[in-house]
Amino acid sequence: MEKLNVRKGLLASLALSAGMLAACGAEEEATGAGTGEDQVTVDVFQFKVEFKDQFEKLAAQYEELNPDVNLEITTVGGGEDYGAALRSKFASGDEPAIFNIGGPQDVADWKKNLAVLSDTKAADAALDGTLEGVTVESEVLGLPYNQEGYGFIYNTRLFEEAGIDPASITDFASLEEAVKTLDSKKEELGLDAVFALPGKETWVTGLHLSNTFLAPEFDNNVLTAFDAKEVAFEYGDAFKKILDLQNDYSVQPTLSLDYSMQVEELFSMERVAIIQQGNWVYGSIAGIDQELADSGVGLLPIPVEGYEEGGIPVGVPMYWAVNSNEDEAVVEASKEFLDWMYTSEEGKTAVLEDFKFIPAYEGYDTTKLTDPLSKEIYAAAEAGNTIGWVFMGYPTGWGQDQLGASIQKYLTGEASWEEVEGAAKDAWSADRSK
Amino acid sequence: MMRTRDLSYWLFLAPVLLALTLVVIVPMLLGVYYSFTSWNGIVTGSFVGLENYIALFKDERFLASLWFTTKFSIVSVILINIIGLSLALIVTSKIKTSNLLRTTFFMPNLIGGLILGFIWQFIFVKVFASVGQMIGSESMQTWLATTETGFWGLVILMSWQLAGYIMVIYIAYLEGLPKEVMEAAQLDCMNAFQRFRFIVFPLVAPAFTVSMFLTLSNTFKLYDQNLSLTAGGPYNSTEMVAMEIFKTAFMQNEFAYAQAKAVIFFAIVAVVALFQVYLNKRREVEM
Repeated sequence: MEKLNVRKGLLASLALSAGMLAACGAEEEATGAGTGEDQVTVDVFQFKVEFKDQFEKLAAQYEELNPDVNLEITTVGGGEDYGAALRSKFASGDEPAIFNIGGPQDVADWKKNLAVLSDTKAADAALDGTLEGVTVESEVLGLPYNQEGYGFIYNTRLFEEAGIDPASITDFASLEEAVKTLDSKKEELGLDAVFALPGKETWVTGLHLSNTFLAPEFDNNVLTAFDAKEVAFEYGDAFKKILDLQNDYSVQPTLSLDYSMQVEELFSMERVAIIQQGNWVYGSIAGIDQELADSGVGLLPIPVEGYEEGGIPVGVPMYWAVNSNEDEAVVEASKEFLDWMYTSEEGKTAVLEDFKFIPAYEGYDTTKLTDPLSKEIYAAAEAGNTIGWVFMGYPTGWGQDQLGASIQKYLTGEASWEEVEGAAKDAWSADRSK
Repeated sequence: MMRTRDLSYWLFLAPVLLALTLVVIVPMLLGVYYSFTSWNGIVTGSFVGLENYIALFKDERFLASLWFTTKFSIVSVILINIIGLSLALIVTSKIKTSNLLRTTFFMPNLIGGLILGFIWQFIFVKVFASVGQMIGSESMQTWLATTETGFWGLVILMSWQLAGYIMVIYIAYLEGLPKEVMEAAQLDCMNAFQRFRFIVFPLVAPAFTVSMFLTLSNTFKLYDQNLSLTAGGPYNSTEMVAMEIFKTAFMQNEFAYAQAKAVIFFAIVAVVALFQVYLNKRREVEM
């Protein structure tokens, strides 16, 4: 009896352990089997959820043209989640061939995994300045997704009814004037307030708004910001004035407002006249009011008093990177795919018409840009009437978690503006002196 | 015991031990090791000794979140137990709808924490604001926009969710009360309050230990409700420890530092848990 017990136990234990190990091993086999003998598999790990379907469609088209390439696309959305997911992906050994990086900090972190992309056609075609954040010692390590820009998005119908000519708004004084006019006609226009300032979204205040006022002191260059030992808030007063203007004339309480309330509930329903956002809101507005999105909105610059009052902040939100740890064949195939996407005729059409991107490359027929915000941003970029995006060069977490949080304190009256600036300066220097 | 029995005992245990080692013990030891390095999530980095641990005791934000979590846990534990016990008393008294009520009270516990957070966010931000506008109350319109309302929002959410669960535990104890004692009390002309105070209350005391630590561990490790209701806002003042650690790791990319915080957090939770075991054991002897 006792012997039987031992045997049973041994058997059961062996069976269970074996089962467990088998379960762990099974997955690897499955992925291994997908790779044909001559076929090159390129794993793409990307973050832009909004264009997932269109991107997959384009990839399928590419596979048809190049039967020896197999593109495996995985999409993980949102800024933070993507960074975490990418790290786990690398840690698990299942490294993607193509992935996304955001700016200088990512480049520094991932340096040893980044293949040099200087020899790609796309790198040649990239517009001036779009490669700054991902160039190290004149080697290009990333290719821009697209260009994006932001500013004050306004409702053209409401402006017209209030008798305001958007072209006359060229500086802070005229903006303030227009806001006051709108505010005095709130009742007739059916407005809750003039602005909707989403105090809850620290990226709107801590990254985008702050960028407008900090870019000038870093020469509009993300690398200058990345290398800067300290931040001076040279245009801090102008920053405060714009923030106050938005807060004073906003739907209250601003700290309860999030992106969806700002864009969808308040702006798209025409309950506010102006919001500080970028061309990415097109989809959100169109989802509620297609007509408003297509012909009822315009973009005003955020005036930086004492500097340039008419520049629109335009930049590259994300870059494609190729993993240098992969086989030579995979790296080559990855580069070819990226080249094809941004420089071939089929690719260009998709980028412009399906992805609805503002291209960051030369040789595009930009008359095909349909939404009014993208058009204005592209026009500003062409005219060189822009402010750079330097927030990718802020110390990690500084913009949202530090400055953004302090601004929330300021908005509730818990802190004075001097305290906000002081704390932000200290945190910047502390981080950079590490 | 016989040797052979020992062997088969260990053999049966082996699969579980193997699994536990692989998915709990090894990662934990690795985690502790990482907390002594400058790991950034990509490369392990150099060995920095106790640097991370020294830094975290000077980290105001971490300490603030620890204090916030403690405050929140204490208030929640008290409220949840009071509400849970009250609900249990209601549904064990002789009212007609007691079964329906039991189900209803337990229901919130079946909804996932994230969804609950979003539902309550809607209630606090939209419903409260509308009511506030109607009755002209300014303070009703700023829910979740200030630290205090964020705190109470979280407490209300957790009480609503956990009270039903705790109620079930109390019901079990209440229904196990000896009938004779209750009858004797009635014959001695004790009123309802006296019966509760001198008989029911002491007899369900063991349930307090169980419920208290269940709620304590639940509220201390809270993450999802915190994320969906306030996301730490305004200005990170309603951030609990779990969220603070997550943000340190994934927003500031200071993985080793976050790991050190997690080790300290683990130690705190472990002390609380061991204390619970100790108390429970002692009570068992008493009974």
